[in-house]
Amino acid sequence: MRKILLFFVPLLFFWASAYAADDCLICHSVMSGNVKTAKGESVEVRVDAAGFEASVHGSFECTECHVNFMSGPHTPPGGKLDSEVAALVPFTSKKSKSSPEALAACVKCHKPIYSELKASVHGQNIFEKKEADAPLCLDCHGNPHYIVPKTDPKSSVSHDKMLEVCGRCHEDEHIVNKYGMSHYVIEKYKESFHGKKYILGHKRVPICDDCHGAHLVTKIDAPNSPVSGEGKVKTCGKCHEGATAKFAAAPAHKYIGKDNPIPYYGEKALIVLLLGVFLFIFSHVILESIAEIRDRVFRKEDHHE
Amino acid sequence: MSNQIPKEIERFNVTFRIQHVLMLVTFLLLSFTGWALKYPEVEHAKWWVDIWGGPDMAGKIHRVAGVGMLLDFFWHVIYLGYLIGTGKMGFSLTTTIIPLPQDVIDVAKNFAYFLGLTKEKPKFGRFSYIHKFDYWAVFWGMFIIGASGFILAFPVMMSKFLPGFTLNWVWPLLRILHSDEALLAIVFILFWHFFNEHLKWGKFPMSWTWITGKISTEEMKHEHPLEYEMRFGKESDK
Repeated sequence: MRKILLFFVPLLFFWASAYAADDCLICHSVMSGNVKTAKGESVEVRVDAAGFEASVHGSFECTECHVNFMSGPHTPPGGKLDSEVAALVPFTSKKSKSSPEALAACVKCHKPIYSELKASVHGQNIFEKKEADAPLCLDCHGNPHYIVPKTDPKSSVSHDKMLEVCGRCHEDEHIVNKYGMSHYVIEKYKESFHGKKYILGHKRVPICDDCHGAHLVTKIDAPNSPVSGEGKVKTCGKCHEGATAKFAAAPAHKYIGKDNPIPYYGEKALIVLLLGVFLFIFSHVILESIAEIRDRVFRKEDHHE
Repeated sequence: MSNQIPKEIERFNVTFRIQHVLMLVTFLLLSFTGWALKYPEVEHAKWWVDIWGGPDMAGKIHRVAGVGMLLDFFWHVIYLGYLIGTGKMGFSLTTTIIPLPQDVIDVAKNFAYFLGLTKEKPKFGRFSYIHKFDYWAVFWGMFIIGASGFILAFPVMMSKFLPGFTLNWVWPLLRILHSDEALLAIVFILFWHFFNEHLKWGKFPMSWTWITGKISTEEMKHEHPLEYEMRFGKESDK
């Protein structure tokens, strides 16, 4: 590590003038490699200065979030934690590799969204069930140094990445079983009309959060669910102008099993029909071709008319 | 060949030919723009749909072509009604497009001929079972793919007409119907129609009847002997 730092010493003057306001980045933007924390976790020490500057938090001082350092050569700025941040630290320390205070710092500013999260089914799992695998801010939003607006394709919660983000848990057999969630939701979404267009890169087709909401996501039987009852009618109506309860009754990406026999056996019957027709036309075409060749080559005399 | 027998006769009039061309154009557009949606996860699906202006534009082309094809279909049915109503189209077992028990016998006879079990080919009228299959496949497609496609294209409007008890299963069913039947239609056209009208010995690159509307009497004698006999009488020569 020291060798690397020495290599960059001449650069320091340059960086010092460019980032005078941010002393940490003088070193942390040019360092490379990982350090081991007291917990034994390996943490990357480099912060990409350009990426950080371009992020929505690019004007922040590092110490606005990094109040304490778990380990290392620096003296932490210390100071009193915001009460909500302090209350969240016990939960973020289950996820944090180095700095649970920094991981909880989001709620200092994002209070309305935080209260939505607390009321959501994700929030219940975090705060009531105290589950370590329930999602907090960065599980979806990715590296906090490079958060960009959702509309930016580089965002980890962009339209294009949303299915993968939600799928990390909702496709994970272990998590799905643990929380009793609906099975095959991602798979069935991909097979739906919306999902097929999504895979092809359609930009306006609805993806998870467009219907389910993001921070205030609820169970389907919750009274405020946007994907059942009156809520679903409103949700469908966002795109399908004039949507009624009758329209909204359409299943969006439900698993079709034997309990829904018409489409379930209908699909099987269609496969039989297709294979039957294919068998007829393929055998007819192939046999006729062979017969024509036979006629032309071996039964020439029949055709001298 | 006697003088009364013309060299060629009209098999399809200009209205039928235009209807066929409209069917052909809309069919190709529908197949091309809908294809990527059948298997979107395969590698080239995105590349393919982008040729059609991306998934949004492909969807728009698909809907316009779909409505165009349905209108073509209705035109055809109304036109047939007009021809029959005014007596311009009569009925005869030799010239009808309606499937008959004889067609099933012809299928068996033809397979027997292919397999070398008999040296005698079945004798067809104006429309062999091959043509009848081709023709009614379009009707089947219009009812299944056309109707399901129309409901899927205008779901809010069409949901008003759907009875309540269907709501839990009708949408997945419509989607499967549209998608699988479309696959059936494409494979059918590729193998059945293309083989019989393009690749068959003597037809390559294609039978020109779809443009000229004409069929040579020579060809008619071989492929539609019963119609030939009906028109020109049994030939005693040869």
